[in-house]
This record gives sequence, structure tokens and C-alpha cells, in this order.
Amino acid sequence: MKPSFFPIRNVVLGLALIALAIPTPAETWARYQGQPRGSQLKLEGTSTLHDWKVEGKLIAGFMELESNFPLDPAAKPPADAKLNAKVEVKIPVTSLLSGTQLMDEVMYEAMKQKQYRDIQYRLKEISLKKGAPAGAWQFDAVGELSIAGLMRTNSMVVTIERVDAARLKVKGEMAFKMSDYGIKVRAPLALPLKVGDEVKVVFEWMTAQKAEAANK
Amino acid sequence: MKNPQRLPDLSRRTFLKGSSFSTLMSMLGGVPLVAQEKPTEPAAGKPVGRPVNCGVIGLGPWGREILATLSKIPEANIVAICDTYAPMLRRGQQSAPKAAATDDYKAVLENKEVEAVFVATPPHQHRELAVAALKAGKHVYCEAPLAHTIEDARAIAQAAKASFKSVFQCGLQARSHPQRHFLLQFIRSGAMGKPVMARAQWHRKQSWRFASPNADREKEINWRLSRKTSPGLIGEVGIHQLDAVTWFLDQRPLAVTGFGSLIKWTEDNRDVPDTIQAVLEYPQGVHLTYDSTLANSFEADYEVYYGSDSAIMVRDNKAWMFKEVDAPLLGWEVYARKDSFYKETGIALVANASKLEAQGEGGTADSAAAINSLTFALQAFLGNAGKVATAVKDFKENFGEDDEALKEHLADVRKSRLPAAGYQEGFDAVVVALKANEAILGKKRIQFQKEWFDLG
Repeated sequence: MKPSFFPIRNVVLGLALIALAIPTPAETWARYQGQPRGSQLKLEGTSTLHDWKVEGKLIAGFMELESNFPLDPAAKPPADAKLNAKVEVKIPVTSLLSGTQLMDEVMYEAMKQKQYRDIQYRLKEISLKKGAPAGAWQFDAVGELSIAGLMRTNSMVVTIERVDAARLKVKGEMAFKMSDYGIKVRAPLALPLKVGDEVKVVFEWMTAQKAEAANK
Repeated sequence: MKNPQRLPDLSRRTFLKGSSFSTLMSMLGGVPLVAQEKPTEPAAGKPVGRPVNCGVIGLGPWGREILATLSKIPEANIVAICDTYAPMLRRGQQSAPKAAATDDYKAVLENKEVEAVFVATPPHQHRELAVAALKAGKHVYCEAPLAHTIEDARAIAQAAKASFKSVFQCGLQARSHPQRHFLLQFIRSGAMGKPVMARAQWHRKQSWRFASPNADREKEINWRLSRKTSPGLIGEVGIHQLDAVTWFLDQRPLAVTGFGSLIKWTEDNRDVPDTIQAVLEYPQGVHLTYDSTLANSFEADYEVYYGSDSAIMVRDNKAWMFKEVDAPLLGWEVYARKDSFYKETGIALVANASKLEAQGEGGTADSAAAINSLTFALQAFLGNAGKVATAVKDFKENFGEDDEALKEHLADVRKSRLPAAGYQEGFDAVVVALKANEAILGKKRIQFQKEWFDLG
């Protein structure tokens, strides 16, 4: 019998290897979309007159997590602390509200809202935080935060809680200096007011998984 | 459309723009209560956000006043004007030469460029225009009174309530003026003692009749003179003062008793009284006495609030306080400007007077009062409309169509809106004014029912 150029056995084996090499997206990554309800963002700062606070409830964007991403605090921690995730966040500047139109105007102007409509965040790397208290995973997140058109690297600790079968809530705190982002606050009504440089940010981001898995 | 010819001294416009009465009072010696020159929160009027494309419907004297004021506000971009009467349209074009001019309001509503519509036609035409504009997704500024019947006003207010993506503002412009907000805080803080009573008037010597080129036009433009279309003196002009008193007292009236007579202008077949009186009963025994006439101009227009410690007179955007001798010393009045009125001495009240002194502007600056209420009202409307429009756009771009969530977000955004009369305030004012007019025409007492103010 004349031997074939591609023996059937080799073809089957080759196809099987290819199939193993290309993972099915649904099995590997899960995509969670920012929800219009359930999120909170608080920015707190100081001034020579009084402390100030700005709040928002719109945090848009998405989060994609590999299937082995640790979400169950009762489960065994993964062997490798470095994790695979993709996160992009967008916060419309106009969704940040101070409670008065005048202060909103001052804030939007300082953040150059007309040119840069959103605060943006992109995750660069995430890893399991060592020594976190039992009962909840904590993660060290390093990302790029863009405000008023300037991007700076940012580090923070976040937690990810499962709300229900479809929803995850990301919680975190961070701080930044306004001067790092070129933000100069013009005091309203020409008041002799100085605003402190440091801003504390506390957030809770509600995300929900779509019916279909992300296509990576 | 409304008011095709300008009268030398007419109703809302002159009422709201001011007169020589304040000068007279100053000469007699009084206590001016004046807001600071630089507007304060919450009435700071600078619009936030992007410019808003505007369409003005109705180019009578008041519509053209709106147009002229808008043309001076950078955030207003006038893209369309409308009037059914060609001469008025031509006059409107003088203030807005680049705007698309039309005699069909539907063309304004179909114009996708138009974001905000100003309805300045006679009140009996408001319902059709305002409801259609809201259905077309426009922001709507509708002149006061919202309508000449409570039924029409309710339909407008309900349409505004349902159109949560649109900003609706009623033309009760005093509600946007910083001086009024200053006085509101002053009165509500109890600085004049226990409220005792209030008095308000609007007096002019004028016919309220417009000249016209033909009989049809004559009927159309003199809608104020027929009971079928006119809300009467109290509904057309007095509504602003009744609303101010109701607002300051923070109470709806319980009942109204009215009287009306046609005394001076008896020869042109009008059936609307030219002289009226009304007494509005508020809780805790407080009464507002209101009178208005077209037969005598003495003392023009003002409001007086009487408290157990002092009386406050409000004239245009100025005010004076007259203290009782046994009133407690408040402290600040020691340094305030003193003026002498006839047999009375008053204390000048100027909001943030010490700051003005520090700025070298003195505590007696009257320039805030020189900015008319309409300017503040239009700035508030544009600022609120621009902010809501931006919020809607930002939301939809990020979260798509989710009306319930958007509604919640806009409720948060609206918490920091610039002060202005919304649909509920506009509707409440109409109920009070039109029931007062009904009492005047019937010379009777009417008890207000809570459900009359309900929008469902």
C-alpha cells in the first residue's frame, strides 16, 4: 500500500493539539460591564475655608477576568499571585456633583471638562495581595489614571465582592495630587480660598456579567 | 401671537423691569434690602455647560424682550424664531438675524437643531405649544401664567412632569433673582418676627388695549380684555406677586375672596375688570391683601410683609426694612445704611454687605437690583438645560437606553440646579391666581381644595 503524504493519524493528532492550544473564550474569560446603578464615587479634599466632597454614581467601563481569577474567599488561593484581568473605566466628569451649580462649574473648569469629558482608568497589572485578612481577597492594582488629559500611573488596593450570580462589586480607595494632573482650582467669586492638593477617592463599582462570555 | 404692538407702559414688562418708586422711597428715606452685587449661591446665574440652541415662539413685546435678553447671554444660541404675524417676525429678526424665521411653530419643533423652546404667546395658546414642544423632546421655558384655565395648566405641568429628560421652567422669573433668595432667607429665618400679614399692589393708568390694523387682528391681540382668554389683572400680572408671597410664607393659601369692577375703561366692550381687590387667607391667620387697577398709578407696584418685629417692603429687586421700636437688636443693623422714610427710619440690609465693603464697593450697592429678573431666569434655564442635556448624553453614551436609571441620575443632577420655577411652582401659581380671578369675577369667597394642586 502506498503510504499517504499526511497519515490520517497525524492529522487527527494535529487537529487535537490545535484545539487544545486555542482555548474556548467562554471557558477562559468572563466580562463584567459597569452598571448604571449601584456604583458610588466620593472625592474628598480640603481647602482653607472648609473640607469639600464631590459625589458621583456613574462608573462606566468593563472588567474581564480569567476563569481562574479568585473570587471565592473560601477557595484555595492560586499558586501564582499575578493574575490576568483587563479593566477599563470611564467616569463622565459631569456626573460628579458637589451639590451646588457654582462649585460644579468650578470643578468642571478645573478638570477641563470641555476638552476631556471623562476620567479614565486602565489596569496594567493586578496581583493577589499578600497577608490580606481572611474572608475576602484583596488585590494590588496598578493602572493608568487619566484626569484632565494627563495620564499618571496609579497604585491601589481593591477588593472584589460577588453580589450575586451575575454581579461583582469592586471597592477601593486611592489618593492623588491635583498638581500631578495640572488641576488648578479657581476660587469662586474671587474668594481668598486655597484648595488642598491631595484628593482622596473612595469608590464602589457595580459590574454585571453579560449572558455571553467575552470573546478574547 | 402675543402683544403685536408695544404699549408705553404695559403689564409684565414694566412690572418686572422696575420704576421710579424705589427712587421715591429712597428720597423719603427707607431701608434698602439689597443682595450683593456679585450674585451669591444659590442664585448665581452663570450657566454651566455648553451653549443651548434656542427657538422663541411668540414675538410680541414680551417675546422680543426674551429674545433681546437671550441675545446678550453667551450660552444662548438663537437658531429659530416664530410668530404668525409677519411684522412681529420681522421685528424679531432684528435681535436674531441669523435665526430661521417661520410663522409655523411646528417647523420650530421639527427643527432638530432647536434644543430649547421659549413659549411667549398669549396664555390660551400655551397648552398646544408647550405640550407639543415637550413631546418633541425640547426643553421648555413657558411664560407665566402657564395657561388661562387650570385644566390647560394641569396638562402642561403633567406633560412636563412626564418629560424627565427635558427641563421645564415657568416664567415666574423673580424666583431666579438673587435678591429674592436673600430676602427669602431673611424672612424665613424669622428676622421680621412672626408673620402678621402681607399687602401687594400693581397700579397703572393705562387701557391695556393695543392698537391694531384690522378687526381680526384687534381681537387677536387684545386677548387680555375678554374673559374667554384673559386670566385678568390678578392672573396676568398679580400672579408674580401672589407667587412671591406664597413662596416667602412657604404656605399655600386656604381661601380667597375677591372684588372686581369695570370703572375707567367702560367704552370698548371689554368684560374684564380694570380694578380689583382680593384677600387671600393663609394659615395661622395671615392674610394677603392684593389690589390692582388700570385707573390710577399711585405707588405703582410693591409688596409689604408685616411681621411682629418689622415690616419689609419689596419693590422690583430692592427692599427696605422698617423695625418696630421693641424689636430685638439683630446686631448687623448697627453698621447698616440708614434711610429716612416719611415718619419712619429704616436700616439698609445688603446681603454680604461686609464683603462688599471689603471689596470697596460699599454696603449700599444697588447694582444687583439693576439686573432684571428675566436675565437671571433665562440664565438659570439655559444653565439647567445645558447641564441636563450633557448628563443625558454622557449617560446614554456609557450605558445606552435605561430610562429608569437615567431618571435616577437626572434626579441627582437636578439637586444642584440653578433656582427657578418648575412645573409644580408654575402650576400652583396658576391655581392660586385663576381661583382668585374667579373670586373677583364672582365677587365671592373660594376655599382652596388640596386636590386642585395635585398633578397625579
